[in-house]
Amino acid sequence: MSRYMVQRLIMLVPVLLGITVVTFAMLRLIPGDPCRVMLGERATAQMCADFNERMGFNDPLYTQFARYMGNLLRGDLGESVKTGQPVISELADRLPMTFELTVAAMFLAVTVGMSAGVLAALRRGSLVDLATMAVANLGVSMPIFWLGLVLMFVFAFRLQWLPPSGRTTVGVNIVPLATAWGVSEAAPSWLRSLVDFISGFQLFSTLVTGNLAGLWDTIKHLILPAFALCTIPMAIIARMTRSSLLEVLGQDYIRTARAKGMGDRLVLGRHAMKNALLPVVTTIGLQFGYLLGGAFLTETVFSLPGVGRLVVDRILARDYPVVQGAVLIIASVFVFANLLVDLTYAWIDPRIHYE
Amino acid sequence: MTTSGANVPAAKFDSQALDDRPIRTPMRDAFRHLRRNPVAIAGAIILLFLLLIALLAPVLAPYDPTIQALTDRNQPPSAEHLLGLDALGRDLLSRVMYGARISLFIGFFTVGGALIIGTVVGAVAGFVGGRTDNVLMRIMDIMLAFPSLLLAIGVVAILGRGLMNALYAIAFVSIPVYARIARASILSVRELDYVEASRAIGATPFRILFRVVLPNSLTPLIVQATLGIGTAILEAAALSFIGLGAQAPQPEWGLMLAQHRNLVFTSPHTVFYPGLAIMLTVLGFNLLGDGLRDALDPRLRV
Repeated sequence: MSRYMVQRLIMLVPVLLGITVVTFAMLRLIPGDPCRVMLGERATAQMCADFNERMGFNDPLYTQFARYMGNLLRGDLGESVKTGQPVISELADRLPMTFELTVAAMFLAVTVGMSAGVLAALRRGSLVDLATMAVANLGVSMPIFWLGLVLMFVFAFRLQWLPPSGRTTVGVNIVPLATAWGVSEAAPSWLRSLVDFISGFQLFSTLVTGNLAGLWDTIKHLILPAFALCTIPMAIIARMTRSSLLEVLGQDYIRTARAKGMGDRLVLGRHAMKNALLPVVTTIGLQFGYLLGGAFLTETVFSLPGVGRLVVDRILARDYPVVQGAVLIIASVFVFANLLVDLTYAWIDPRIHYE
Repeated sequence: MTTSGANVPAAKFDSQALDDRPIRTPMRDAFRHLRRNPVAIAGAIILLFLLLIALLAPVLAPYDPTIQALTDRNQPPSAEHLLGLDALGRDLLSRVMYGARISLFIGFFTVGGALIIGTVVGAVAGFVGGRTDNVLMRIMDIMLAFPSLLLAIGVVAILGRGLMNALYAIAFVSIPVYARIARASILSVRELDYVEASRAIGATPFRILFRVVLPNSLTPLIVQATLGIGTAILEAAALSFIGLGAQAPQPEWGLMLAQHRNLVFTSPHTVFYPGLAIMLTVLGFNLLGDGLRDALDPRLRV
């Protein structure tokens, strides 16, 4: 196990390096003069000279790359061309929203998807099974941005059960943690940034400050986007759970367990589920990447202030440093999520080792 | 399992009938299984229907998809306009029909491109092996380290907005999937006796790879490609929806959704039908792909 862990961690290095090379290349691959592209056609020669100097475009590529890596290690992702803000702080403002949305969607996908899959497998061929698989087939074919709009129409407009868009209702008071915890202006800037970042996780910050109205409001705003986002992973997880459980249930050791008089519940809980879970766990890791990508669409549909929407806005505004930074961060999060899944996998199944 | 021969008494065995039976080839076998799979048939019917609409759009569409009736904007479905009119007073049914052309083109173009490039990459990696294999597959791994829609968005950001650029981006990000499948498949075929035999009679490596090994490794690629078309259509619609893909006035389904999304409460029909079209199309490819997988992979047959 520990050997596998070390080997798996070493594997991270080339992948992370590859991701940085790709994101580094992004800015340099833009066809045409990057200055004209980012500053617009009306940029003067002087503005362009300054811009190229500031971005370091005049140096040889290897110098640029070395500087890029050095800056990355210090947490410096460059500055936005549009706002002049450090990219890292623009992203820090938006990441918590995307993270909460992704985790909420994953929670729904795993709980609902796995329960449906288990139910379908146990009642194979029944109406429940057929219905679950039919819904799953529709689920994997769903354009989630369309589903989002349909959900919005039904639940926010017709039934008026849930808010249509945004992150909080105007008028609901959400106290920033910096205020609640009394972090003074005199505190070091890194501390204030950190507290502000944590404060962005609204489910968390409303919970710890005991702001139940704010928490409930935040949850209500998350339900529709999370549901729209989770359909494809939910359907895939349901299908995977069903087929994996069916395979396991057909094996000899399950028959043995039944033969010695073990109850259904115990057979399922103690013997079948453990082995059936393995392929499901892998699927969950891969689906996490899908959720991060899908967040672009969900955030656009529901006007949520997350990273996805930021990237889309900035691509249209040709603010490439922000796009570059966001791609780097999201891809790294995905890589680490998969690492976590692989380690979990090795933990569940002691037979796993690196080949 | 149904084995038709098992119930026939041995005494009545008719060797003449046996000779007249059509020869069983793996392809025919697969087709037989496919025909018995109601889900795959449903998928095939959806796709056939769609293909007909796409090919015959100029004949079938009741109106010109570009003609605007600005006084009747957002008119709900009626007898003259079965799906209603859009925000510029264009007939929605006609636009959805013409959209089928774009979506099918998107599916075949991106998957075709990714399939060809991915197969060549995977085939070379698997067949040559060694360092070439290592380098190529590590590059593929790095591409897979990005969530696919994110990478596609990044590529479009570089290339610039537009339907064709979105298609290049989607094709590009799906290359590793096909490369990995092709490589795995070729590794399993490479060592078989008939490959050894062609080597023995002096066939060139090029010929062995493309005439002997590759045709025998195609099955998993065909399955993946069918499923991949659905995914590609979804991703292209998504890129158009966020403004990076098709541009107005193209009747692309994702773009149609984007243009009308602010009207979802007042004129829901303008949003509902283009999305439904996307879902049915993707569903068709997914059902057929699942059916193909069951039919082509004898291990899955129950």
